[in-house]
Amino acid sequence: MKRKIDIYLKKNIGKSATSSEYRKSILLEGEADSWSKIISAGKYAAKFGYKGVINKISLKGFSEDYISKPDFTDGKFNNYNTDVLIIGGGIIGCSIARELSKYNINILLIDKESDVAYHTSSRNDGMIHPGLVPKPGTKKAFYNVRGNYLWEKISEELDIELHRTGSVITYDKKFLNIIKPFLKMRADKNGVPIEFLNKDEVLKYEPFSSDDIVGGIRLPTAGIVSPYKATVAYAENAAVNGVVFGFNTFAEKINTVNGEIISVETNRGKILPKTVINAAGVYSDIIAQMAGDMFFSIHPRKGQIAILDKKYGNSLYSILSRPNLNFHSDTKGGGLVKTVEGNILVGPSAEEIPYREDYSTDYKTIISMISKHEKALNRINKNQIITYFSGIRAANYEEDFIIEKSDYIKNLIHAAGIQSPGIASAPAVSEEIEKLTVEVLSVYKEVKRKDKWINRRFSSPQPLKLSIKDRGNLILKNPDYGKIICRCEEISRGEIIDALKSPLEISDLDSVKRRTRTGMGRCQGGFCTPLVMQIISEFKNEPLNSVTKKGHTSFILGEKTKEFTGDDLNEKV
Amino acid sequence: MNMYCIECPNGCFMEITDYEGKITVTGNKCKKGYVYALQEITAPMRTVCSTVKTCFRNIPRLPVRTSGSIPKEKIFEVMNEINKITVSENVSIGDIIINNVLNTGVDIIATSNTYES
Amino acid sequence: MKKYDVIVVGGGPAGLAAAISSSENAKTLLIEREHRLGGILKQCIHDGFGIIKFGEKLSGPEYAEKYKDMVKEKNIDIITDSFITDIKKNDKTFSVTVVNSSGISQYETYSVVLATGCRERTAKQVFINGERPAGIYTAGTAQYFTNILGYLPGKDCVILGSGDIGLIMARRLTLEGANVKGVFEAKSEPSGLMRNIVQCLEDYDIPLELSTTVSRVFGKERVEAVETVRVDKNMNYIPGTEKVVKADTLILSVGLIPENEIAEKLGISTDIKTKGPFVDNSLMSVNVPGIFCCGNALHVNDLVDYVSESGETAGKNAALYKNTNRKLTKIIISDEFMYCVPQYINYETDEKNIIFYIRVKNNCNNVRIIIKNERDEIVYSRKYIIMRPPEMERLVINKELFKNTSFINISLENGDDNI
Repeated sequence: MKRKIDIYLKKNIGKSATSSEYRKSILLEGEADSWSKIISAGKYAAKFGYKGVINKISLKGFSEDYISKPDFTDGKFNNYNTDVLIIGGGIIGCSIARELSKYNINILLIDKESDVAYHTSSRNDGMIHPGLVPKPGTKKAFYNVRGNYLWEKISEELDIELHRTGSVITYDKKFLNIIKPFLKMRADKNGVPIEFLNKDEVLKYEPFSSDDIVGGIRLPTAGIVSPYKATVAYAENAAVNGVVFGFNTFAEKINTVNGEIISVETNRGKILPKTVINAAGVYSDIIAQMAGDMFFSIHPRKGQIAILDKKYGNSLYSILSRPNLNFHSDTKGGGLVKTVEGNILVGPSAEEIPYREDYSTDYKTIISMISKHEKALNRINKNQIITYFSGIRAANYEEDFIIEKSDYIKNLIHAAGIQSPGIASAPAVSEEIEKLTVEVLSVYKEVKRKDKWINRRFSSPQPLKLSIKDRGNLILKNPDYGKIICRCEEISRGEIIDALKSPLEISDLDSVKRRTRTGMGRCQGGFCTPLVMQIISEFKNEPLNSVTKKGHTSFILGEKTKEFTGDDLNEKV
Repeated sequence: MNMYCIECPNGCFMEITDYEGKITVTGNKCKKGYVYALQEITAPMRTVCSTVKTCFRNIPRLPVRTSGSIPKEKIFEVMNEINKITVSENVSIGDIIINNVLNTGVDIIATSNTYES
Repeated sequence: MKKYDVIVVGGGPAGLAAAISSSENAKTLLIEREHRLGGILKQCIHDGFGIIKFGEKLSGPEYAEKYKDMVKEKNIDIITDSFITDIKKNDKTFSVTVVNSSGISQYETYSVVLATGCRERTAKQVFINGERPAGIYTAGTAQYFTNILGYLPGKDCVILGSGDIGLIMARRLTLEGANVKGVFEAKSEPSGLMRNIVQCLEDYDIPLELSTTVSRVFGKERVEAVETVRVDKNMNYIPGTEKVVKADTLILSVGLIPENEIAEKLGISTDIKTKGPFVDNSLMSVNVPGIFCCGNALHVNDLVDYVSESGETAGKNAALYKNTNRKLTKIIISDEFMYCVPQYINYETDEKNIIFYIRVKNNCNNVRIIIKNERDEIVYSRKYIIMRPPEMERLVINKELFKNTSFINISLENGDDNI
């Protein structure tokens, strides 16, 4: 096997490239002149049944990857003892924290950013996939289908808006006949309900679907959540149950003795955990390696997404896509999703890139996605776009989730390589990690369920979604719910203050935005940015120019106009 | 010599010729343009609009302007004077904030109230 | 439910003028979403307002204050800090649902004047790609930071777009000590008024680069630099002309869009050219009678004086509104024009004259505006030495000239013709 890989490397990468077996995995090394060659090599090596592909082939002339990280050090977590340390505050880390919070154990979740859901968990389409796509027998297939099922209960317990809309995929005649038996078989294998629709039935579900189709399939279990609100809900419920959130905390080094982690060094001190859970997303391979358990590599896969103005939202009811007939063309580009907020979301694309935090977007990709999906729903067009962004999928070469106890480090558990359908799978992934953690931790201490675990969490009020009467009564109780700050999304001062009062300490403009949707509308924060900043500044009792967009040094304002004379200290109201 | 008039939004494009000391202006739609052109070639004048600091929390800055034109080269000097001011008592539109700023014969006046009437 | 004859939505210059003129003949309510009346004028502290209306060069707040004083003298009900969450058409009236800190209230009215202003186009709408750090603001937001809050948006600024607000912010930021590295305009002509090019850029040696746009933003947390690129006539990037400009702030002055979300809720048809409702000369919507529109919600004006004028027209007609059938004469404009407001003429109104607000697409020298009736007879013509897109032309024409025609044609012809 190794010989075959070596021949491939010599031929495609160059003389410098070599492979070696490392534990149960295969390690690739050398230098290549293009990123796509590196990816292809990794994919090739993944075909031979190794536990993992560790792809260390470097890209010629590639400068150091950028990692956003806190710019300060303190001793907040120095010699901090914890039963469980979770690294990563995405939906995986937060859902694990919540499930583990039902036990009598100490849990610390750290994230290098100033809030949860800062990266991939706030940069995806929020789809609760039905589970048709993953290959039968993979972890992905299992956790996706199980997660989809568990979302019903989770959304109820955590008061997360879940729209179980089902998804519709439309087809031209030729295509449908070819793949129908295949789809049926896969659906049955994965345990996913599937319905075959004729054209009229398609139009019943999606009346504005292009009518040059002959039919389609519907996957009734598909659903949609707001991925960042879901992550926040998990985190808030965990916090209420005693989980400690250490934001702006960057894991720099993991110290092990005899195959056991004894400490994790961070910019905020040395943490002393009994068990460590690796939920570090696009950095999960780096965390694994730091802990001495190198067996896979993450290759960042970017997905660009466009959001259309809400006012055109009524062209779509659920999730719609129309695969391209040409098998050889780039079929990536996601689909159309009606978000829980009522916008149409277009995408995501899929591009292999060398950077783990490159959230740039480009005109060509955004426009080509719109053109692609216009074929499914011709009422959309590029003038309806109000914003676009990108996220990075944490893909490994095996293209499957890594949900397991480490083979080499006895108190390390991985929840890694989790990309699409990560949101859909999260409840099932955390269910499994909960079980594994209890097993591992039981070696160190007795793990018992708490007598009082609060499994319910309630979202703060969303006045816009209430009836006139209820909204009026809410305002009578708290007039701040009647002061509209964000005019496009109709968000009140009360909702912004609720977000700031959340059990997680947050203060960034983007954190408020993720919780309340201020600035997510068609003016993109043009009017409300200064107003939200003023509320944050008042709430925190800190000067206006200390408010950041997304933590660290992302200050929104510069200096005060006029030099300081001292007079302005004697403020009058 | 050519210039655009800045007296009004029309922005007339004017041609100024100096024939043995006799200055003629063409292209201007009104007399203001002629006056502006003469001034501009001898001693250009400008108005300045800015803000001053206040002690009022809800109105940290109060808008002000020059009550007339000042020499163009003095704009930044006037800004320096404006930047020194802190308003600590209520003022109304038109109130003088700086009297005869830098001896230009022009005042700095408030263009808003510090209170809501 | 409180009943009014007219509800004016928006307390900026258009709404204030509309409320004043409406209150002469009708019981009027003015609804403003912000705490103070005056709209965007509150932050426009530069002078140049009111030259036509008052013969003075006022600053924005001064201009607004004059109208606020007039409003106070009239019998107008005003609610501020109040947001319209819904509007519905009934048989003969409209119900307006308002949310504010005392709760939710509903009002009934015979007519509504929409004076909701406009919003700025965003970085996303002009397809600036790259990273999304802090430090990218529309000119209006930067203006609020600087003039109202007293903070600079940053130290080293690049301005994209030569719209008037962008030019004015270039001067403002320079006066307050920021370093404006340049103004970039994708078009081959500036979008703002010439007087602002002179007094905001040239006076301060701020470079203006035409046919150049910002294509990318660099910086993860705060803007660190932008990439500029030259564009051809069709707005395509010219490869090899990319330049990186170091800056911590990118300010956008790339156009304004009328805010007509309330109008859309009522199913009002809008003109894709103005992005405002189709109206007749009383400034009433052509398909939803009883709804009037004025100011920048109707079309983006370059002078506040005209905003007030349209407010006055809309307010007056809203007060006199009776639901009768209108016979409308369509105004057809030739290709050289960007738009004309109104788009229709209702001959059965009180005014003697009809005011046309018309804008050309491109700079035109030595031209003549010609208006013809259905019989191809020239009913009006006027010569211009120059017409430029930033400068809207206003024509006041006797209504009698448009009698007995089902449409009129406005075209632009060579100015040399002897007519």
